[in-house]
Amino acid sequence: CGQYQKVLRKDDIGKKYAFADSLYTIGKYKKALKLMEQIVPAYRGKPQAEKLMFMYSNTFYKLGDFYSAGYQFERFTQAYPNSDSTEVAYFKSAKSFYQLSERFSLDQRETYRGMEKLQGFINTYPNSDKRIEANELITELRTKLEKKQFETARQYYRIEDYKAAIESFDNFIADNPGTVYREEAFLYRLKASYKLAINSLPYLVQERLLTAKGHYNSFIKYYKSTDSAEEANEINDEIEKRLVTKETKST
Amino acid sequence: QQKELDSGRKYTINSITVTGAQSFNEQTVIAFTGLKKGDRIYIPGEKLSQVTKKLWEQNLFSDIAFYVTNMTDEEVDLELYIVELPKLHEVTIEGKGVRKGKRKEIIKDNDLKPGVKITNNLLNTTKNYITKKYQKDGFLHTDVKIVTTPLQDSSGVETSKDMKIIVDKGKRVKVKDIEFEGNEQFQSGKLRRAMKKTKRKNLIRFWKRSKYTAAGFKEDKESIIKKYKASGFRDARITEDTLIEVDKKNVALKLKIEEGDKYYFGDIRFIGNSVFTDSQLRQLLGIKKGDVYNGVLLQERIQDESEPDADDITNLYQNNGYLAVRINPVEVAVRNDTIDFEIRIMERNLFYFDHVTVVGNDRTNDHVIYRELRTRPGQKYSKRDVIRTLRELGQLQFFDPEQLSPNFVKVDENNGLVDLEYSVVEKGSSQVELQGGYGGGGFVGTLGLSFNNFSLRNIFNLDTYKPLPMGDGQKLSLRAQASSYYQTYSLSLTEPWLGGKKPIQFSSSFSHTVQYLYDYNSRRADKSKSFTITGGSLGLAKKVKWPDDYFVWSNAISFQHYNLNNYNTGLFTFGDGYSNNLAYTIGISRNNTTVNPIYPMAGSDFSITAKLTPPYSAFNSIDYKALNDERAAQEVILNDPNANSSQVEDARLRRSEIDQERFKWLEYYKIKFKGTWYTRIMGKLVLRTNTELGFLGSYNNDRGVPPFERFFLGGDGLGAYSLDGREVIQLRGYPNQSLSTNDGSTIYNKFSLEVRYPVTLAQMASIYVLGFAEGGAAYDGFREYNPFELSRSAGFGLRIFMPAFGLLGIDFGYGFDPVLGQTEPNGWQTHFIIGQQF
Repeated sequence: CGQYQKVLRKDDIGKKYAFADSLYTIGKYKKALKLMEQIVPAYRGKPQAEKLMFMYSNTFYKLGDFYSAGYQFERFTQAYPNSDSTEVAYFKSAKSFYQLSERFSLDQRETYRGMEKLQGFINTYPNSDKRIEANELITELRTKLEKKQFETARQYYRIEDYKAAIESFDNFIADNPGTVYREEAFLYRLKASYKLAINSLPYLVQERLLTAKGHYNSFIKYYKSTDSAEEANEINDEIEKRLVTKETKST
Repeated sequence: QQKELDSGRKYTINSITVTGAQSFNEQTVIAFTGLKKGDRIYIPGEKLSQVTKKLWEQNLFSDIAFYVTNMTDEEVDLELYIVELPKLHEVTIEGKGVRKGKRKEIIKDNDLKPGVKITNNLLNTTKNYITKKYQKDGFLHTDVKIVTTPLQDSSGVETSKDMKIIVDKGKRVKVKDIEFEGNEQFQSGKLRRAMKKTKRKNLIRFWKRSKYTAAGFKEDKESIIKKYKASGFRDARITEDTLIEVDKKNVALKLKIEEGDKYYFGDIRFIGNSVFTDSQLRQLLGIKKGDVYNGVLLQERIQDESEPDADDITNLYQNNGYLAVRINPVEVAVRNDTIDFEIRIMERNLFYFDHVTVVGNDRTNDHVIYRELRTRPGQKYSKRDVIRTLRELGQLQFFDPEQLSPNFVKVDENNGLVDLEYSVVEKGSSQVELQGGYGGGGFVGTLGLSFNNFSLRNIFNLDTYKPLPMGDGQKLSLRAQASSYYQTYSLSLTEPWLGGKKPIQFSSSFSHTVQYLYDYNSRRADKSKSFTITGGSLGLAKKVKWPDDYFVWSNAISFQHYNLNNYNTGLFTFGDGYSNNLAYTIGISRNNTTVNPIYPMAGSDFSITAKLTPPYSAFNSIDYKALNDERAAQEVILNDPNANSSQVEDARLRRSEIDQERFKWLEYYKIKFKGTWYTRIMGKLVLRTNTELGFLGSYNNDRGVPPFERFFLGGDGLGAYSLDGREVIQLRGYPNQSLSTNDGSTIYNKFSLEVRYPVTLAQMASIYVLGFAEGGAAYDGFREYNPFELSRSAGFGLRIFMPAFGLLGIDFGYGFDPVLGQTEPNGWQTHFIIGQQF
C-alpha cells in the first residue's frame, strides 16, 4: 500500500503505467483505476495507449460502472478499429448497455441502445464466438420490451378499461409476432372482450359477444391443446349460452 | 516525378511521414489516422478521404493534405501535411463595468477553456455573443475587440496563444422620446403605452427602466400594429422608423404610421363543416356582421395560440377526434369598409389513440403512470384529455410539471390512428427533516423522513434499495421528535390505488406521544408524571364520477387513547385516568386546481367533512343531567371561600370522578367546511380566495361539548404538538391562538383574500410573493355567533418552496382589531411558515 501511495503521488507516468498494469492483472481494479485516470491523458496518441485504453475501459466494466465502460469501450473501437481487442471491446461496450437496461416497468432507452449495439456487433463480427451470447442478450432485451407492452395492456384489463385492454392486446399481438406472451395475450383479449360485452348496454351486447366469439376462434385456432384452452372454452360456453338466449328472446 | 495514378488500384503503404506538426508527435498523428505501414489501400480511394474527414473532425487542424512522395507499381510513400490550429492558453477579459460573474459567464458560454483550438469561428461567435449580450441590456454602442498573442517555448516554437477580450460596453442608451406621425385614431400616449419593451425616460416609473434594444423595439412595432388591427384598421402599417442618436446616452425614435381605413365584418360563412352546424360554430365564433373588424380576435376565436385549451373553434374539433382539422379564414370580398369572410374548414377524418406510451420514468413504475392517463388506446382523440393528463401527471408530484410533454410519435392519416408518447422527467420527491435545537427548556431533536414515491412491496428486496425502494407511488412518512420532557413518534402510509384496480386511496397512520410533567423546581422532567396518547387511523378515499370526476369521497376511522398518570395540570380535573376518542369521519371534496400544486393558477379546492363519535349517551343509561347538576354543585363548593379543606378535597375528588365518567369515551360531532378558489388576474398574478368554517357540537346538551377537538384561531396556523385533537387555524396579523378563549372555541369562521405573484417557478426553487387581507372570528357557543364581527388583518409575505426542504415562508400581518382583553388594534405581527400545506 505504501508503494501504491508513493507511485500515486509521483509524476513518473512510466512507473504508474507499469504499476497500474500489475494491479489490474491481480484484480485490484479500484486502485488501478485511480492510477490510470492520472495517466490516460498523457498517453493519448502514444503506441502504449491501445493497451492502456483497453485496460481502462475494462476496469470500469469490472467495477460495474457500465455507463463509463460502455462509453470508453465504444471510444476504443473507434480509435483502434484494427486492434486485436476491438472485437472484445465492441462486445463489452454493447454488453455494458445491456447491463444498464432498467427493469421493464421503467424507461427503456438503454434497452433499445443495448439491442442496437448488440445487433451492430453481430453484423460486424458475424463469425465471432460471442455471437451466440449476443443473440441471447438481444432476445432477453426484446422479451423485456414485450413484457412492458404486455403488462401495460394487462393493467388496462385489471382496472377494467376493457376497450383499452382489447386495443392494447390487438396492438401487442400485431407488434410482437414471436412473443412468449402471445398465448396469454390471446386469452386476455378474449376475456376482455367477453367482459366488455356482458357489461354493455343491452343493444350492444349481441354485437360485442360476437366480437368476443371471434377472439375465441382465433385463440382456439392456435392454442387448442394448451392449459389455458379450458378457461377459453368456459368463456366460449358462456358466450354461446348468452347468444342462444338472445336469439330465442328475439324470435 | 509525376506518375499517373490508376484509379481503383491498390497499393501497399511503404512509409508514412508527417510534416507541419508542431505540438504533436509524429507517431501520435499517424495513430490518429489509423493507417500503418503495410496497409493495402486504394489510391485515390475512399479510405484516404475517410481518414482526412476523421482528422478534420478532431478539430485540431486548419489544413490537412496527403501527398504521395514516391511510388512503385506496388508501394507508395505517403506524406501527411498538417497545419495545427493554435491552442488557447489563457483568456483575460478587460472592460469597465464587466463584472466578475459576467466574465465567468462569457468564458463558460463560449467554452474558452485552455487548450481549445482558436478558430476564426470561435473568435466571431465570441465577439457576437458579447455584443448581443450587452445590446440586450440596452448598451447599444458595445464594442468588442479580441487580441491574440502567440506564446513561444524556449526553442522559439509557438505553442499556444493568449487571448485578450476588450469590451467597451459604452453607456446604456435610454430612450429620450418616441414620436409618432400620421396617427389620428390613437393619441401618441396610447401608442406609447402599447409599447411594452421600449419606454421613454421617466423618473416616476421606477419599476421599468428605459432602454433601447433592437429586439424589444421590433416587438413593440408589432404591438402597435396589433393595436390598430384590433380596432378595425387592418391595413395599418409603420412606413418608416428612425432612430436618432441624440447624444451618447440617448436616442429618440420616430415612427411614421399609415393608418388606413377602418373596416367592419361583413358576411361570415362557414364552408366544409359537416360535424358541427353553422349555428353552433357561429355561436362559438361570437363575431357578428357589422362588428368592427378585428383580425386578432378572429384568429383567436378560430385558434388561440396563446392558450392551448382555449374555447375556440379549432379546439372544438380537436376535442372531438378531429386531429388534422385545418381552419382558414379567407377574405372573399371587400365592399367599401366591409369585409366578407369565408371560414374554410377541412375536417379530415376522425382519429383514435393507438399506442400510448410513457418515456423518461427512471424511477416511477409504469403502472403508477398508466393508470392516471386519460388517453387510452382505442379512445377518440381529444386534445382536452391530453392536457388534463399532463395536469394530473404533474399533480402526482413525481415529475417536474414544467417538463411534461406529449409527443405525437406517429400520426397515421389514412387509418386515423395516433401514437402518443408522454415524456416525463423525474424529480426529487423525498424530504428529509433533521433538526436539533434548544426549545422549551431542553434539547429538542427531530427526525422526519417522507418518501412520496415509495414501494412497499419491495421493502424486503435489497436490490431495489437505490437508495430506497421507490416507484410504486406510495407515500411513507416517519417522524420522531424527542426532548427531555416529551417524545412523539408517528408513522403514516398512503397507497393511492388500493389493490391496483380502482383509485381508492388507502391511508393509515399511527402515532404515540409521551409527555412528562416539567418540574420547575428541579428544572427536569418528572418521569413519574406522564401523559401518553396513542392512536391511529385508517381511511379510504375514492374518486367518484358524479357530479363530476373531480370529486373525492372519503371515510376514516380514528382512535386515540389518552392516559394520565399522576399528571395534574389545568387541562384535566383528574390526574389519574384515561379518555378514549373513537370517531368516524366522512367527507366530500373537490379539487381541480391546475398543473402546479405549489403554485395553482386556476380552479378551486373545497371540502366538507363531518367527524362523528358514537352517541354513547343515547344508550348507556347514564343520567348526564344528574351528573351535570352534581358537578355544578361541587363547583359551588370549590368556589366557596368558606368551605373547609376536607369539604374542598371531597368536592375535588367527586368532580374528578364525574369528569372521568364524562370523558371516558368522548362524544361530539364536528363539521367543517373549507373552500379555496384560484383566479388568474393577469399573466401569472393569481388571486386566492378562501373561506372556512367549523362547528363542534354535542348530541346531549347535559353531557356538553368536550374540551377536546376544539378550534384555536389566530397566528401562523402551524400545529403545535396536538395533545387533544385541537385544530389550529391560521389568521395572520394576530399572535398564535389569541382569538380563541383558553379552552378553545367551538365555532369559527374565516375569510381570506390573497394575491400571489411568482418570482420564479423553477424546479430547484419556487418563490412567490403575496399580499393578503383576511378576517375571522371564533366563538364559544352558538348564542355568541355573529359571522360579521370579525378580527381583520392585512399584510404581505414571501414563500419559497424547495423540493428537499418543503415550504418556507414569512408573513408580516397587521391586525386591525384588538385581541381578547385588549382595546388597542393588535398591530404588526411576523409569522414564519414552515412546511405548511398549501
